[in-house]
Amino acid sequence: MHEASIAESILDIAALNCRKAGFERVRSIRVRIGSASGVEREALLFAFECMKGGTAAEDATLEIEMAALGGTCDNCMGEFEAEGAYVLSCPLCGSNAFRITRGHEMDIVEIEVN
Amino acid sequence: MKVKVVTRILEANDRIAEENSRLFKSHGVFVVNLMGAPGAGKTSVLERLIAGLGGSRRVGVIEGDIAGTEDAERISALGVPVVQINTGSACHLDANMINEVLADLPLDELDLLMIENVGNLVCPAEFNVGEDMKIMVLSVTEGHDKPLKYPLMFQRSGALIINKTDILPHVNTDMERVRRDARALNPGIRIFEVSSKTGEGFSPALIEFIECLSGLR
Repeated sequence: MHEASIAESILDIAALNCRKAGFERVRSIRVRIGSASGVEREALLFAFECMKGGTAAEDATLEIEMAALGGTCDNCMGEFEAEGAYVLSCPLCGSNAFRITRGHEMDIVEIEVN
Repeated sequence: MKVKVVTRILEANDRIAEENSRLFKSHGVFVVNLMGAPGAGKTSVLERLIAGLGGSRRVGVIEGDIAGTEDAERISALGVPVVQINTGSACHLDANMINEVLADLPLDELDLLMIENVGNLVCPAEFNVGEDMKIMVLSVTEGHDKPLKYPLMFQRSGALIINKTDILPHVNTDMERVRRDARALNPGIRIFEVSSKTGEGFSPALIEFIECLSGLR
């Protein structure tokens, strides 16, 4: 349900950057969402479609790039990438001494304007 | 034309959260964002904590609910300053909602501000409000699968309060599994097991933990 607040923030940031660049319409918005961020891709797309009307991005498409969960292990010193929203141990050596370094992203990457 | 943006989507929220955080620090208030499912017992835990602190720390409370003032009335009855926020339909508190009510609290007279979030295991974990620590309340009736079903909330919390231990004999929750999975998701998480109904488990460990936090400012 918080995807509505996130869609609203995306629309605000896109409109602001569109104006700053001296344009009026946003054609597309590309965002990067980590698989551990708690954001549901389909829910975000739905919220975006519901909320874009009447904004500078009312005809825009939202492109969602999903970023995998990843981390480094202090035991085997390896770098890993994993499916899903969490890991309970290092997928390489099974140790608990790992740190998650990627997968919580929630960024706007680029907008296309005209 | 393409415009590179590279901005955190929740940047506006995070900016206000930082502003709140600076304000809290300047008043010497330690702030806890208390999260958990509806009915986990967040308000009952708060009541026990306030009673357990017994005036050793000056506590203020912000209550977040979709509707109603019942929680604020319960806290107010304990004689501590409280503000109720009704979010209308929003499933979480955000930094701006907190910012708007800060003028209604005597921050200078507080050591500890407890912000009780809207009951929800998903959204509140995403939105910082300027807190120093997130604390999660989980009740034993919710089942042992919650850490792996809602990992983000467990990962972001500094402490986990497992409530309603008095009814453990009547439920099938495997407490060892809750502890193990919560610690696997978040090795540093502090775990406390309490019953708000009987008062068991609050003193001394949890009360001392909260006292210690509010002494950090």
